[in-house]
Amino acid sequence: MYKNLFKIAVCLAVILSPLMAVHDVWAGGDSASIQEYEQGCTYEEYEKTYLEFYGNSTNEMAEEGNPAELMLDDGKDLYNTVDGSKGKSCASCHGENGEKLVGVAVKYPKYDPAIKGINTVALQINRCRENQMGAKPLKYESYDQLALTLYVKSLSNGMKINVSIDGPARKFYEKGKKFYYTRMGQWNFNCAICHVKYSCKRVRTNLLSPNRRHGDHWPSYRLKWGKTGSMQRRFRGCMKNMRAKPLPYQSEEYRNLELYLTYQSNGLPLEVPGMRM
Amino acid sequence: MQKERRRNSSRVRTLVFAGLFLLSMVLFTGMVFAGSSVDEGRKICTTRKLGNCVSCHYLPDVESPGNVGPNLVESMKNYTPEDRAIVRQWIVDARKFNPETIMPPFGANKILNQKQIDAIVDYLYSLKKGGK
Ligand code: HEC
Ligand code: HEC
Repeated sequence: MYKNLFKIAVCLAVILSPLMAVHDVWAGGDSASIQEYEQGCTYEEYEKTYLEFYGNSTNEMAEEGNPAELMLDDGKDLYNTVDGSKGKSCASCHGENGEKLVGVAVKYPKYDPAIKGINTVALQINRCRENQMGAKPLKYESYDQLALTLYVKSLSNGMKINVSIDGPARKFYEKGKKFYYTRMGQWNFNCAICHVKYSCKRVRTNLLSPNRRHGDHWPSYRLKWGKTGSMQRRFRGCMKNMRAKPLPYQSEEYRNLELYLTYQSNGLPLEVPGMRM
Repeated sequence: MQKERRRNSSRVRTLVFAGLFLLSMVLFTGMVFAGSSVDEGRKICTTRKLGNCVSCHYLPDVESPGNVGPNLVESMKNYTPEDRAIVRQWIVDARKFNPETIMPPFGANKILNQKQIDAIVDYLYSLKKGGK
């Protein structure tokens, strides 16, 4: 009888332990105890290594044109299209050709008191649709959602990324950082070990990039996907590679993480759509 | 009644013989295949869904090995046959030597089983003699 109880307890512990590992991440907040790694290499060194390792093929492809440009055009059309019960389009509030949104995206993600957390461009688009237009939110990572995000961000192309982590944003930045340094999954990796400590090293045919430019080019067309995708899709991909359970799009953890990583790109010009292997 | 018992005991004897025969067959094939644990270890180290050690370590005769970890041919030069337990521990759980390691705890997290890990150790030691 007790033996059985014990067995059940052990089974439960085994089943629940991965959940608890994720819970640890949620509980985050204070990152003062995090021992930051030393950078494996600078971005300049990475670019040099990249050329040596892969040659010039990615640049050549980029010159032939980025397939995501088509999506960007569709995003512009969607921006001007009336949708929802209130008979409005994005342009009704934000001006023709996105006049009033120029320069806005370089401050995203940012703290928003209305949601007591971090707001992203993708999330804001859905909040506008629901609250201002009376329209259904667009499914994250759907064509239309990505197209609108791409268009809105492109209005700030060339401007310097300028994400704030002052005031209430700080706490969420720290949470994002804690997530970035938390070991997870069967392989027991964390994000920083690959993108800080071992950057410029090779994992088989993958050259590990330092995170300095992880925040400046999303949404991006990715050859491996054969599609355009968001930064959060990339988060999910890396978590799957770590054999950890990926989190839902626009979950609190991913918005905090997006803030943390975009902040690492502060001062660089925003350039969407990006293109990657 | 007596006849019956005798028949039973002879049946038992046949069973025991059959059992022993099967057991010896199993042991025999086991011995024949023991030599191939080096091959198995090599396969585990080079297969993405198994150990995938080459994603981080140089190993001989593998296309584009990673360079996150040390070259294991060089590393093995520093280990004598008495160090088997140490080499094994690196694979079971490298955190024992380096709490901040990037190397996955293959044994502790049950990515690989004991037999697979033994095969890897056999394979790594074969590298000392030029590998297989
Ligand atoms: C075991 C290694 C590894 C780990 C751990 C890892 N990644 Fe990655 N990541 C890669 C590789 C390989 C690529 C593709 C090549 C590159 O850009 O570095 C990549 C690419 C990325 C990119 C795209 C970079 C770009 O410029 O487009 C982002 C963003 C990213 N990872 C974020 C993360 C986050 C967030 C985590 C943790 C949740 C994480 N990674 C964990 C290996 C890893
Ligand atoms: C994600 C990267 C990674 C993977 C995968 C990996 N290792 Fe390692 N390994 C390392 C690093 C880095 C070290 C150096 C010590 C350290 O930093 O902890 C190391 C150290 C070792 C050592 C000790 C070497 C010495 O010089 O004493 C052995 C043995 C070893 N690894 C074997 C393996 C085997 C076998 C596998 C696959 C079953 C494997 N490793 C998979 C990264 C990795």
